[in-house]
Amino acid sequence: MASSKAQAGQTLWAKMPKANAELFALTYGSLVTELVRDYEDPIEVNAQLERIGHSIGVRCVDELLSKADSSNLGSAVTQCGNLRDTAEVVSKVGFRMFLGIQAEVGGYSQDQRSFSIYLQENPLSTFVELPTIGDEQSSSSPSGGLDDLRKLKYSNLYCGVIRGALEMVNLKVECTIVRDTLKGDELNEIRVELKEVLSDGAGDDYKEE
Amino acid sequence: MTVHAIHIFDRKGKTLFTKRYTTTKQQLMQDAEQVSEQRKLIFGMLFSLRELVGSLTPEGGSPALQSVKTGAGTLHCYETISGLRIALYTNNNPVMNTLPGARAAGGESTSITSFQTALKYIYSEIWVECVVRSPLYRPEDIQVDPLEGRDNNAGRFDIKSTNFEVKLDAYLSSMPWFR
Repeated sequence: MASSKAQAGQTLWAKMPKANAELFALTYGSLVTELVRDYEDPIEVNAQLERIGHSIGVRCVDELLSKADSSNLGSAVTQCGNLRDTAEVVSKVGFRMFLGIQAEVGGYSQDQRSFSIYLQENPLSTFVELPTIGDEQSSSSPSGGLDDLRKLKYSNLYCGVIRGALEMVNLKVECTIVRDTLKGDELNEIRVELKEVLSDGAGDDYKEE
Repeated sequence: MTVHAIHIFDRKGKTLFTKRYTTTKQQLMQDAEQVSEQRKLIFGMLFSLRELVGSLTPEGGSPALQSVKTGAGTLHCYETISGLRIALYTNNNPVMNTLPGARAAGGESTSITSFQTALKYIYSEIWVECVVRSPLYRPEDIQVDPLEGRDNNAGRFDIKSTNFEVKLDAYLSSMPWFR
């Protein structure tokens, strides 16, 4: 089953229009820089990146579902029975399809309500170096201590994308970046925690009587 | 003409798009409010049926609801995992006009599968292409019905601003069962 998902991801990746990886990394880099300049507070920047990611995620999910459907990969992407399936689809199909990278899942918690996604490579962080504490004198930051930037989660966009995409399939999750190669860890790890499974239901329009 | 109407609902039952292709005497007399009330009933019916079907389906089966048939017409529906529901109301036993070439590819498909395929196509090739990819698309903030109060809808995303409707019409009218 896991291999069929990886295969599906590969097929979908082949169908996606491609963008130049360097252009992509640089565009994202300038976006983050702009946010850092505008908000100054890295915590706020993290929140904004998450929010941007969320908007991306809610669109991505339709893209993924429809592409998977029309290329007869329906068997790989159907209603997931449990979080394990969901994790597989997110990492094997999602990351593969949109970024062309290999993502691994693991670290399931005892109650099966949280898991980790491991990224060996991170296309967002090509060319990126976060300033270290020693660099405080450098002039690139308009204000605020540069050591603050250590709190910046550069790739926090992923968290938002995952949250947005899963929200559309009725899973409310919380994501955090636990390990980051930019901070000296050997790989990137995104922890995804299931908060609740939303139930279907009619919206406010139906509640008048 | 065998296609009467198409409605698209989101997960919460909000109408995202609606279009009638035929008008009956009765419908002409209805005002906008009644029409929107009727759509709520359609969604409600689909929703409840789906729940019921889900609980009746044996373990491992697919609980997808494909169509509801009455004496006068058939409501074909397609639901995506992301919660979008597309409902297409046609009359029974649509005439399969033979279109040169078009039917050859899916020749063995029965009318049900061809409706399901068509709805899938509308989702993946028209909805996603035109609406989801539109830079103005806000999933939570779609202007629902042109008939509903216009004043407080400023700044909302209107599907009319995309070429969704044009493409949808073109696709539906190319179908052998359209008329």
